[in-house]
Amino acid sequence: MADNGDRVFCHACGGVWLLDTREDGSDNSQKCPHCESDFTEIIEIPPESPEPEREAEPQSPPVNPWADHNPWAQEGSIPPRTSGWMESGSPGYSHRSYQSPDGRFTFSSTTIGSSYPSRHDAQPNPVLPLMMQSLGTLFQGLSGTYDNHQTQRGPGMGMPPHAHAAGMRGSDVMHDPFQAQEERARRHDGHYPHDPNGPQQITAPLQSLADLLDALQANGGTQRNTAGRGAQGMALQNPFALLSALMNMGHNGDAVYSQEELDRVISQLIDHTQQDTAPPPASDSDIDSLPKKKMTREMMGSDGKAECSICMDSVELGTEVTVLPCTHWFHFDCIKAWLSQHNTCPHCRRSINATGVTSPGEGTSENPVVIPDSPDSSPQRRRRRSSPFTSQSIRSARSSRSRSSRTSPTPEMGEPGTRRGSGGESSRGGITGWVWSRFGGSSS
Amino acid sequence: MGSQKRIAKELSELVESPPDGITVELADEANLYKWKVFMEGPEGSPYQDGKFLVNLTLPTEYPFKPPTVSFGTKIYHPNVTNDDKGSMCLGMLRADEWKPSSKIAAVLQFARQLLLEPMPDDAIEGRIAEQYKNDRKRYDEIAREWTRKWAVSE
Repeated sequence: MADNGDRVFCHACGGVWLLDTREDGSDNSQKCPHCESDFTEIIEIPPESPEPEREAEPQSPPVNPWADHNPWAQEGSIPPRTSGWMESGSPGYSHRSYQSPDGRFTFSSTTIGSSYPSRHDAQPNPVLPLMMQSLGTLFQGLSGTYDNHQTQRGPGMGMPPHAHAAGMRGSDVMHDPFQAQEERARRHDGHYPHDPNGPQQITAPLQSLADLLDALQANGGTQRNTAGRGAQGMALQNPFALLSALMNMGHNGDAVYSQEELDRVISQLIDHTQQDTAPPPASDSDIDSLPKKKMTREMMGSDGKAECSICMDSVELGTEVTVLPCTHWFHFDCIKAWLSQHNTCPHCRRSINATGVTSPGEGTSENPVVIPDSPDSSPQRRRRRSSPFTSQSIRSARSSRSRSSRTSPTPEMGEPGTRRGSGGESSRGGITGWVWSRFGGSSS
Repeated sequence: MGSQKRIAKELSELVESPPDGITVELADEANLYKWKVFMEGPEGSPYQDGKFLVNLTLPTEYPFKPPTVSFGTKIYHPNVTNDDKGSMCLGMLRADEWKPSSKIAAVLQFARQLLLEPMPDDAIEGRIAEQYKNDRKRYDEIAREWTRKWAVSE
């Protein structure tokens, strides 16, 4: 059965062997022959593939160093490299942690398996140190730039990364001033160790990021998390702040550590969106140049009353009102307050700048929009005419009527069964159109 | 303040001639900007016989900024968040849809209408919306059950 390609990968030691089919059904068939762990997995490799030992390694690293990392878990203690060995046969527990060369960044990972061999110590999976090397280089670059601004810094910058990966020395490394000096000198000499797989040292953009970080810290530390972390906690955070700034293009404090922070970011995003979609404000000159006129009897309702639909105060005959191009009128102060936020009519939403332009779907005097199921409120509607439009008063009366019926309200809320859906509302679909047709004109 | 005048006017109109199934009062007599609205579940909806508390909050910029509407009574509805906030998603209350000429009465009537005719395509609770569309019977059942549990005071 060697040709079927089924192999077993041991998560404990990284070994791969052919699936033993002789003991079909037995538990032993998947036990690692090298370390006797049963934390194994059947994998499929094409039979023509070369030596399975090499093939399998990158396929599934035994530990994902990105998962379950908790940089603060080891606070105040030297992170042990591995701990929690259990005797083989009972549930085992492996803890790995990694501290960046400057000591600011730590992550740890925990793996639960059934048993671990001693062999594991001698031959750790090669993927992990490799990733750590890259990480170490990355954070060396980050914190190196950061150090240009903050004179305090952790030592150990120049140690060959694999030494850290393999040695995993704890905080005793961090506070060795002699080494720090040496390393600084080395770094400035350009003898900077780097991993070909890791990023090269970048200075210019990161400097600006470090500036950004300084600004962030200065303005109150939007992402300060005070949950019992001392200086070490703050120090550990800096690379995260840098990293998040890097990933979020420096968006103010988008690294979130708490629900409140997340809420804040979300509401910020909502605010941005709303500002983007709402109509822009009108200019003062546009507002001031709107025509004003005194209220005439024709502008009043049939009951001889009228009110400004913004303040809802009744308007008497002869009161001066401001008329928009759509013929809707308001108190000047009222409409000014609205227009200085949005340049559309608060009633029908037509732009105050598009004078005389009928938007598509709006209907014209030749071809008015007919809404079959809208309530017939036109007898009660006050007609809106104004002097600048007298030359086309008939037309404006008609189109304003057709518009009113399109947007006219049902003050007592029409029969519950009445649905939206009238041909003329194609320009406003969905909930908006429905609301529009129902309440849009409820100003009278 | 102009906005206070308008709010007071709308309030007195709503108190004097309340719309169908809606009663309105101030949550605190000294504060015009927080209203307590009691909304009866519309007949023919699974919310029938329930009485729902709706909190209406007016911004100081009212009527230039929209009010916010949230359910103080738990309700099973595609357009109301199923959390302790009970926020109602109303298109007309979005900042870019809001018009100062909309009245609070219209907002409340619309909210009540939404109890009768949920808008699953504009839902805030997608799971309930799916159920409303695909398994109306079950939706009715749960909504009725919730109404009995939370909105009916014996």
